[in-house]
Amino acid sequence: MPGAQLIMNFPVTATSHLLADYRARGGYETLRRVLTSMTPTEVTKEVTASGLLGHGGAAFPVGRKWAVVKLDDGQPHYLCANADEGEPGTFKDRWVLEHAPHLLIESMLIASYALQVRNAFVYIRGEFDLPYRRLEAAIEEAYAAGLLGERVVGTDFACDLVIYRGAGSYVCGEASGLITSIEGRKPYPRNRPPRLTVRGLYQRPTVINNVETLANVAGIIANGAEAFRKVGTAKSPGTQLVSISGHLVRPGVYEVEYGYPLAKFIYEDCGGVPGGLAVKCIVPGGISTKVLTGPELAPLTYDHASFAGAGSSLGSGGMIVIGDGTCMVRLLQVALRFYHHESCGQCTPCREGMGWMHRIIDRIVAGDGRPEDIDRLVAISRANDGTTICGMGDAAGYATIGIIDKFRDEFEYWIEHKRSKCDGVLEVGHA
Amino acid sequence: MPEIFINGRAIMAEDGQTVLEAARAHGIFIPYFCWHPSLSIAGNCRICVVEVEDPKGGGWMEIACNMPVAPGMRVNTDSEPVRARRKQTMELITLNHPVDCGVCDKAGECMLQDHHYAYNGAPSASRDPKVAATKFYPLSERITLDNERCIMCSRCVRFTREVSHSNGLGIESRGDHSLIRPSGDGAFGRDAYSDNVVDLCPVGALLSKSFQYKSRVWYLKPTPSVCPGCERGCTVQIWHRRAEWKLHRLDAKANASIDRVTPLENAAVNGPWICNKGRDLAQTFGRARAERPMLKGRPATAAEAIENARRLVAAARKPVALVSSWGSNEELAAFKAALGGRVTALVKTDCRPEPGEVVADALLIRADKNPNTAGARALFGIAPAVVPADADLVLVWGEGADFGAIPAGAKIVFLNAWLAPENGHADVFLPLSIQTERAGHYTNFAGTIGAFEACFARPAHALDAAAVFAALAGQTEVVA
Amino acid sequence: MKHLIPEFEQWKKRYPAGFESSLVLPCLRRIQDDRGYVADSDIEELVAYLGVARIQVEEVLSYYTQLRRHPIGRWHVQACRNVTCSMRGAERVVDHLSKRLGVAPGGTTPDGRFTLTVVECLGSCGTAPVVMVNDAYHENMSTERLDALIEGLD
Repeated sequence: MPGAQLIMNFPVTATSHLLADYRARGGYETLRRVLTSMTPTEVTKEVTASGLLGHGGAAFPVGRKWAVVKLDDGQPHYLCANADEGEPGTFKDRWVLEHAPHLLIESMLIASYALQVRNAFVYIRGEFDLPYRRLEAAIEEAYAAGLLGERVVGTDFACDLVIYRGAGSYVCGEASGLITSIEGRKPYPRNRPPRLTVRGLYQRPTVINNVETLANVAGIIANGAEAFRKVGTAKSPGTQLVSISGHLVRPGVYEVEYGYPLAKFIYEDCGGVPGGLAVKCIVPGGISTKVLTGPELAPLTYDHASFAGAGSSLGSGGMIVIGDGTCMVRLLQVALRFYHHESCGQCTPCREGMGWMHRIIDRIVAGDGRPEDIDRLVAISRANDGTTICGMGDAAGYATIGIIDKFRDEFEYWIEHKRSKCDGVLEVGHA
Repeated sequence: MPEIFINGRAIMAEDGQTVLEAARAHGIFIPYFCWHPSLSIAGNCRICVVEVEDPKGGGWMEIACNMPVAPGMRVNTDSEPVRARRKQTMELITLNHPVDCGVCDKAGECMLQDHHYAYNGAPSASRDPKVAATKFYPLSERITLDNERCIMCSRCVRFTREVSHSNGLGIESRGDHSLIRPSGDGAFGRDAYSDNVVDLCPVGALLSKSFQYKSRVWYLKPTPSVCPGCERGCTVQIWHRRAEWKLHRLDAKANASIDRVTPLENAAVNGPWICNKGRDLAQTFGRARAERPMLKGRPATAAEAIENARRLVAAARKPVALVSSWGSNEELAAFKAALGGRVTALVKTDCRPEPGEVVADALLIRADKNPNTAGARALFGIAPAVVPADADLVLVWGEGADFGAIPAGAKIVFLNAWLAPENGHADVFLPLSIQTERAGHYTNFAGTIGAFEACFARPAHALDAAAVFAALAGQTEVVA
Repeated sequence: MKHLIPEFEQWKKRYPAGFESSLVLPCLRRIQDDRGYVADSDIEELVAYLGVARIQVEEVLSYYTQLRRHPIGRWHVQACRNVTCSMRGAERVVDHLSKRLGVAPGGTTPDGRFTLTVVECLGSCGTAPVVMVNDAYHENMSTERLDALIEGLD
């Protein structure tokens, strides 16, 4: 167990996701207390004091985002849980939806109270089936038990929760793309200003938080900000649900306390690479983060500052372990094919850049690469850094620059010898 | 009124302005493709990026079109980082753009050409094939689209959504295989303002079928004019062959024809738009002309015909005139001066809405399909054009008169530019010049006066109406 | 589409006033679940029912990977080809499926039973390689499990 467990703190059984089990664990008591003895501002203050950061990839302070919404401004506010989870390597929000849907619902109710939200949404990627059915069933249980609807827990607070299903698009995981999708339109992300907390869904103040971020709220209010701060590190309080996969003995979703030693997590908790192979590198938090080599990861702890110091980031919490012998050129090819497929096409650098990068790497893999192609990939990545409407351009840039920085020799080799330095292998460590 | 600094220069901006707007208002040019003063902000081309200084040191780059001005803001529009970023952006915008300039109508008035040479100028850095897409996809019977040339600025889509409200265009698919496409219900083909997207398009992607391959734009000259299609009186530019670039053809008409019509921006009347009827002025002014004066259908000389008409007018005891609502203010004044004292003048509605034509809408189109009803009524009143039963001479000026309603015994003097069967039935017929052959003014429905200039020389057969009126009143000799 | 309207009317009640446009996506999904794809007549009827612009519906249909305007096979076999799945044998999975079904990715078998496509990350990397058949995830797919899966589909 990689440190304190705040969310995955109960045994998963055939019924642990149901309302009765959740109540037996103390579920919805916090909601009752909030609605009967706290003001919305007090809730936001507590969340701010906890130092809770976003778990979707941007690590933005949650309380600061919530505080932008002006209470009593006479207009509707909306809350959306981002369950689009499209970042390759990431599957941890799914755990919450499948096993702790009521934790999400209770947290969303508390957040809705704090933000004066009458209508809340969970935007769930279209491909998720079981997570959707579990959440839908939980919402029905909640309505039947008077936990959602006109009079929540018998108080004056009213809140409705609707699941909005996506239909296959990575950019719906971007907050403004997500709400444009909820508006029933093609999910083009939006330029800021205005911030979504000022003009979001149907031009109303909207807060979009990652599922796991919201799932932390009930516990923070239940036990207090101070108790939350005792877990993790000063700059990264609390825990992170980490979905870890790849060349790994025990892939899965783990709750990692911030500050936990990274090497211990990968090699002991998750068993390291099958066959005892060395870790060549890891993708820290979804492929849109810069890779860290085996030696680089050794001294790190799992928290924002440690990874930033190593020139990378925790990202979406989707860690991919890459074993020795993997061809990094082919790996980048898979990633660039993905970004090219997912570019919405709205703005120039990403629309043209993703296709260009994909064509270049396809050409390198086909044996028709030129030495200048490597610098060109880096240049296109830089041309997408901070120039695009949403972060996807930057994301592709980090993936590309990260891999080329650490493994340029493999690209040079392929260009010179017209074949992979690692025999084009992507599968290592198991039969 | 926030004070901001652009390139070190202090500027008084206005509340609510963006940096781009503030710069423009003070004559500082920041390039753009997707931005347009009459459309919502899209912020997708990224070429308007400027550098914003951070008071704590350093700075960041941001698009100017969507950046609100803030007091004390310091912006650089021409620093080294901005230039490098612009070059990069141009490289990406032109990455998949086909070098069609040699065969593209837009050459010479193309924003992409201009910005490429200003901000990049280098050949493509890519050695990979450009993305291929549909060439000349028919968006409607009037507009063709070359998807390869399109830079996805979305101006055309926003126009149909925000200005014409046809919702006729959209962007289908995604990424670099996105395509502008018309909605499946044909709404774009029914959009009476569809052709404005050709002006809006910053490249040669959206093209007018009627203008395609007709001429290089630098061989043409735009003459300011007023569209006569309705009483809105949108100001337009009528494009025709420059004298020094005239075509060497046997048919002189090739050098006296309208190649295309574009809006002449006019804040008081039509903004930057015109409707499609205005685009088709070549058809409006290209109708068959009456070329010969006639006496009851028998060809006569102008002198003979005018003298005949003068005698008829002088002899009439109850002369009535049906005055043209296509007459210019100058011609109408000349009529009043020459004949207004003797002849009872009634203002006629020359043109009525055709079947299938939009009668009126909330944007520009008005039900009165004549350019100068207001100018005519100002001089001659609003009485309907009903010829009294005791009229013994009817002077019909312009088309649209109901000849069947003219009293049987009355003499008819008919002045008209267009070839029509009625021309031969009049006692005297005189062929006139048309708008493009003279200069003048119209007064629109709201009292705004619009000016038009001559595009072509008046043909020998076409008489000047003002001179004819003077001659009919016995004031001058015949003019030809 | 008209027979689905009573269901759509129920959905309308769950959304705040003024959210008619939001119903485009859920309605399209329901229409597709019913018919197998979205027909031109469905588009016309949906536009009339919701009062949205036709081009909005057409853009949405053309953009999302899960929506289609043409019928496909009874079983939509979607194999993930993203990073972790590729590292755990996705290419072998796609090859095996292609040979077993006798169709290249993107194609439909002549008997109309199977359509094979390759898709991006499904959010199941811990159990890679993953194949989605219609709505269901099939995880940890070895060749044996793939064969058993295909055999079980009629």
